[in-house]
Amino acid sequence: MPDTTKTTPVPADAVETDNTENGSNGAAAEAEKQPGRLRETVSILLSSKTALVGFVIVAFWVGVAVFAPYLTEYSPFDQDWKAPNKGPSAEHILGTDELGRDLWARLIYGARVVLVVMPVNDNVVLPGGTAIWGVVVALIVGAFLGLVSGYKGGWIDEITMRLLDAMMAIPVILLYLIIVAAIGASAVNVVIAITIVGVPGIARLVRSLTLDIKTREYIRAAETRGESAWYIMFVEILPNTRGPIIIDAMLRIGYAIFAMGTLGFLGIGMPPPSPDWGSMVAKGRAFILMGSPWAALWPSLAIASLVVGLNLLADGIREESMRYQ
Amino acid sequence: MTRKMHPAVKDLKSDMEKGKLSRREFIRMSTLLGVSAFTATQMAGLGWVKKAFAGNIKRGGTMRVATSLQKIAHPANYSWIAGSNVTRQVAEYLTLTDGKNITHPYLLENWEASDDLKTWTFNLRKGVTFNNGDAFVADDVIFCMNQWLDDKVGSSMKGMIGGYLDTTGIEKVNDHQIKLHLKIPEIAVPEHMFHYPAQILNHRTFEGDFLKAPHGTGPYTMEEYREGEMAIIKARSDYWGKGADGKPLPYLDGMKFIDMGTETAPMIAAMKSGDIDFIDMSDIAGTDIFMALKDDPKAQILTAPTASARVLRMRADMKPFDNEKVRLAIKKCQNHEKILALAQMGQGLEGQDFHVYQLHPEYCEFKTPAYDPQGAKKLLAEAGYPNGIEVNLAVGSGWPDVVRYAEILKQDAIAGGVKINIQTMPNSQYWEKWDQVDFGITPWTHRPLGTMVLNLAYKGDENGKPVAWNETKWVDEEFSALLEKANGTLDVEKRRKIFCDLQRIQYERGTVGIGYWRAVWMVAGANVKGLDGHPNGYMLFNEVSFS
Amino acid sequence: MIVFIVRRFLLLLLTMVLVSVAVFMIAEWSPGNIAKNVLGAFITPEQEASFLKQNGFDKSMPTRYLYWVAGNDWIASGKIGMPLKKQITDKGFEEWWAVDDDGSLLRWKVDGDTLVAIRKKDDGTTEEFKDDSRWTAIDGGKHEFWGVDTQNHAVRWVKGDTEKVWVFVMGSGWVESSGGPKEYIPLKKGFVRGDPGISFRTGRPVAKSLFVRLRNSVVLAGCAFAIVMPLALLLGMIAGLREGSFKDRFLSIGGMMFSVVPEFATGIFLTLIFSMWLGWLPGASVLGDAAPWEKPMMLVLPVLTLTLIELGYVLRITRASMVEVMKSPYIRTAFLKGLPYKQVVMKHAVKNALIAPITVIMLHVNWLLGGIVIVEVVFGYPGLGAYLLDSALYKDFNALEAGAMIMVTVAVGTQLIADIIYTFLNPRIRYA
Repeated sequence: MPDTTKTTPVPADAVETDNTENGSNGAAAEAEKQPGRLRETVSILLSSKTALVGFVIVAFWVGVAVFAPYLTEYSPFDQDWKAPNKGPSAEHILGTDELGRDLWARLIYGARVVLVVMPVNDNVVLPGGTAIWGVVVALIVGAFLGLVSGYKGGWIDEITMRLLDAMMAIPVILLYLIIVAAIGASAVNVVIAITIVGVPGIARLVRSLTLDIKTREYIRAAETRGESAWYIMFVEILPNTRGPIIIDAMLRIGYAIFAMGTLGFLGIGMPPPSPDWGSMVAKGRAFILMGSPWAALWPSLAIASLVVGLNLLADGIREESMRYQ
Repeated sequence: MTRKMHPAVKDLKSDMEKGKLSRREFIRMSTLLGVSAFTATQMAGLGWVKKAFAGNIKRGGTMRVATSLQKIAHPANYSWIAGSNVTRQVAEYLTLTDGKNITHPYLLENWEASDDLKTWTFNLRKGVTFNNGDAFVADDVIFCMNQWLDDKVGSSMKGMIGGYLDTTGIEKVNDHQIKLHLKIPEIAVPEHMFHYPAQILNHRTFEGDFLKAPHGTGPYTMEEYREGEMAIIKARSDYWGKGADGKPLPYLDGMKFIDMGTETAPMIAAMKSGDIDFIDMSDIAGTDIFMALKDDPKAQILTAPTASARVLRMRADMKPFDNEKVRLAIKKCQNHEKILALAQMGQGLEGQDFHVYQLHPEYCEFKTPAYDPQGAKKLLAEAGYPNGIEVNLAVGSGWPDVVRYAEILKQDAIAGGVKINIQTMPNSQYWEKWDQVDFGITPWTHRPLGTMVLNLAYKGDENGKPVAWNETKWVDEEFSALLEKANGTLDVEKRRKIFCDLQRIQYERGTVGIGYWRAVWMVAGANVKGLDGHPNGYMLFNEVSFS
Repeated sequence: MIVFIVRRFLLLLLTMVLVSVAVFMIAEWSPGNIAKNVLGAFITPEQEASFLKQNGFDKSMPTRYLYWVAGNDWIASGKIGMPLKKQITDKGFEEWWAVDDDGSLLRWKVDGDTLVAIRKKDDGTTEEFKDDSRWTAIDGGKHEFWGVDTQNHAVRWVKGDTEKVWVFVMGSGWVESSGGPKEYIPLKKGFVRGDPGISFRTGRPVAKSLFVRLRNSVVLAGCAFAIVMPLALLLGMIAGLREGSFKDRFLSIGGMMFSVVPEFATGIFLTLIFSMWLGWLPGASVLGDAAPWEKPMMLVLPVLTLTLIELGYVLRITRASMVEVMKSPYIRTAFLKGLPYKQVVMKHAVKNALIAPITVIMLHVNWLLGGIVIVEVVFGYPGLGAYLLDSALYKDFNALEAGAMIMVTVAVGTQLIADIIYTFLNPRIRYA
């Protein structure tokens, strides 16, 4: 089994499904070699054109998301009801949607929902985008499971891994359908869906890294010192897995954005009038055929560009860090 | 006319002559009382436009219809019009209410109502046979009526006619005549016989599943019905109705219903590419289909204004909607003009927050309530909510226009101190709790008379408990009494007077906001001839042909 | 190696059991009222209870799971004391019958207090006769009888019950009856025996609808696969030959761009361009009763959409594999030996570079399935994915579970195949 996390450009999920036994070494080795210091990250960025382009795209979206309120005079909910479904114009640079809402405002507030804030309900908004939350929660759960089963081994490992195998075997789309049809449309549920889908992959990755790291000298040393297993897992091992995990997380965020779009498109994303990109496409789709493709075009492009950006960034960093070796 | 004319027809005629009743309404009402459409038209002073023999009617061809093929078993159990539209071609109704709201006899030769409107005599058409060869007789009608009224069957017909008819009130006079003895006077009996679950079945062969014995009197036979996929019907050669060329109807060889789900984009694309000839829009909102195809030369669109509405309903027995000031405040948050323009793309009429439609005969002139957020705020303060209220609005996501209605309302209500959180769910989940949620938007279908919906949804039973379809649990004594009075008032002018009060009460104290009345459409390929638009989306296709 | 494969196979079975239990439980706990979904919003509580009973929802969850997996005709057969047989009528309806000692088929109905048997003869005709002798006495002067009714349930009828009910009997109207059907078992053979039951949404046997849907999806996926594979492998090789060249950059970045545009967006804009503006291709799949290959034009846009998504993915894996191979010592050695470039590439590099993509692509089927669901929705293509989405939204349990199991089988099965291929191609694998 080749180390698929290394060669996979798109969401790693479907790929690293199997055979950790065979796939661990490359990734773990990478962990060692990846310094992950700020200075070096910057130099990696600058030395790889791919990474730089990716970084610019991602930075653009993060920028508009963070500064959205300053980048438009409209709110994403204001309805200019005399001008629905209009193309780009001086007043509305990207045009308006079916209720006369400014598409640029909706687009950048949509980026906010993805990257900067998570609307738990109409009154509670958490910092950190919905996609980010999905990935972070998946990381926490996945890393925990991976660490424990990798370090402890034995039956814990066996049971955890077989269960995760089973989860991974379920086609992702099926999980989404069942989960969200079962629990309905809201940001929290989207996070849950992204988490459940992400956990097995992350757990596998962390487990394989753990298996490798636990044979190292310094772990032996810690064990001889009599450190507790939890200390070793979370203080000694976990920090050393961050390199591959960061790259994996970048791809995963891209994937989560893709997933949010898909859920929104299927009508099980965030409740209206949230400027959720997927829901915008789903609604705008009806109007394409009436000759107003704008409402569906922009969010589609937004999803695509952001995911492309994240992929380029992850790719570039990986390539460069390989070169460092 | 050999039969005695119902005495009320004279009053109606005099109403019409005095200008109190439109000609169209006169025809509608007098046909309900058993006058033939021809006579009524004559009395109204209008020329009877006989469908001229069109020598160029071409026979043949198979019509391909995009629809959604749900499970069907017992026609009396239909809860979707689309299902009835397939079997409608195979089994038929006693009467037919056409696109102009005029009810004609169909499997009936004619009907007569007693002066007190409590005894109705149905004379059955003779010489009609089911497609398995059995003759159509009174037993079939009695059997079906028993089915409708059977609690075990669970037909929505029970709600419609159960209030005035018991199984004991059905009397068989002979093979071709039955008499209905009603508990209370009712004028709309013939219209009810055209309600979509009221298809006449063969009492000899029907055993609960129409598909197992698809025996009806209609012009087509059921060849195949595969739920979720497609259905095929073929013309029979011995149908009782004759076409303009003197030969039995229908003109088409057959029809093929193709399940395309409820996604409208594929239907639009298929119509544009000529892969389908007709879109059954009876159960889908379809504004996007209309907008996408209205200027397309490949498609023709018939528009019918209807009393079908999206009803913003508030439970009168739940906080904060138990306070009528709160309800009125929420109604004031609606900008009807905007809602109609954006939610329904301007295709219909503005609603006025009571469930009576501008084209209902008894409608009393009323000014569309203005958008008044300040007024709403004041009312909320008076009701004890000086800081406004926050409410959850349940919405079925399968109706895009309903979602738009909700989004507009949410935005406009902010200024009125009402914070609305929209909760979307699949339509099927909405129907599960449509009468249980405190605040939601429920689609109500077209009904030709103003009293019909009011009786169904806005009154109590004998004990003062809300009736079955009273989704908002609103029972207002004065309103109920007035409604009772209106039910027994045949004179339209007098009824309208009562309706002025009914409308005002429902606006001020009632539990519903009505954003707009929907126009509905029939969308067909440009080569389809003889279509008749229908406010319920019923497919009346006997005389449809291809050019 | 055999041990390894057997082990993987057992894992596959375990996975499927876990998944089926999980789907079952999620569907179980999700909100939704199937009775109201089927019968409409206006049913009375009594009708709802009766519906749930007739469809076996009054049974406990493990029982229902067992029924779903392994069927319940054998249980019912034990209660009735006769073997049961499923027949498909000429018109395609499923009918369950009890088989009498002489081989003729029997069903029953109850008219008031009278048990009426329906006997089906070999020529397909039926006769009805009174069959009261079958009642067996139970406590309290009541009688009971287990039989098959005309709606494909095994039913326990009770008569002489003190609790009187009014029942409607065809032909004679309302009759007062003592007792009636008390317990239902909706007969089915079970998923493992090819009968996952009746779909609540359509009322048709799930197996029947699924077959057509699955066929359509397989055609769609197959076409996409047949186009993507050779093309992607070829382009991937070309890109991977010279890492960092313009061709490489162009192909890998271009491929990635397409693979990260959501399927729905790609689908919508392809429709817009080819169907609306150019008018070359149909923008929706109207199949009716035709098989997809009878209307190949309908397939073009869905296949193209899937191709664009998948192409980039496979291309990049092939490229990465090729890059790795080209850097490997044996290729360098081959060049050093002075072998011609062409020969090195064709003979040594290509063969080795294909191992990774072929197995990874098999694993990728899982991902492809997701694309298919979206593409089917966008184009109104009547395939498995659209069926699953509808079933999930409708809480059509039998259909959802069966469709899910098929998807899982496909996904896990291809993984197993990938494992097996891989062990053959790469002898260095440890048989863990």
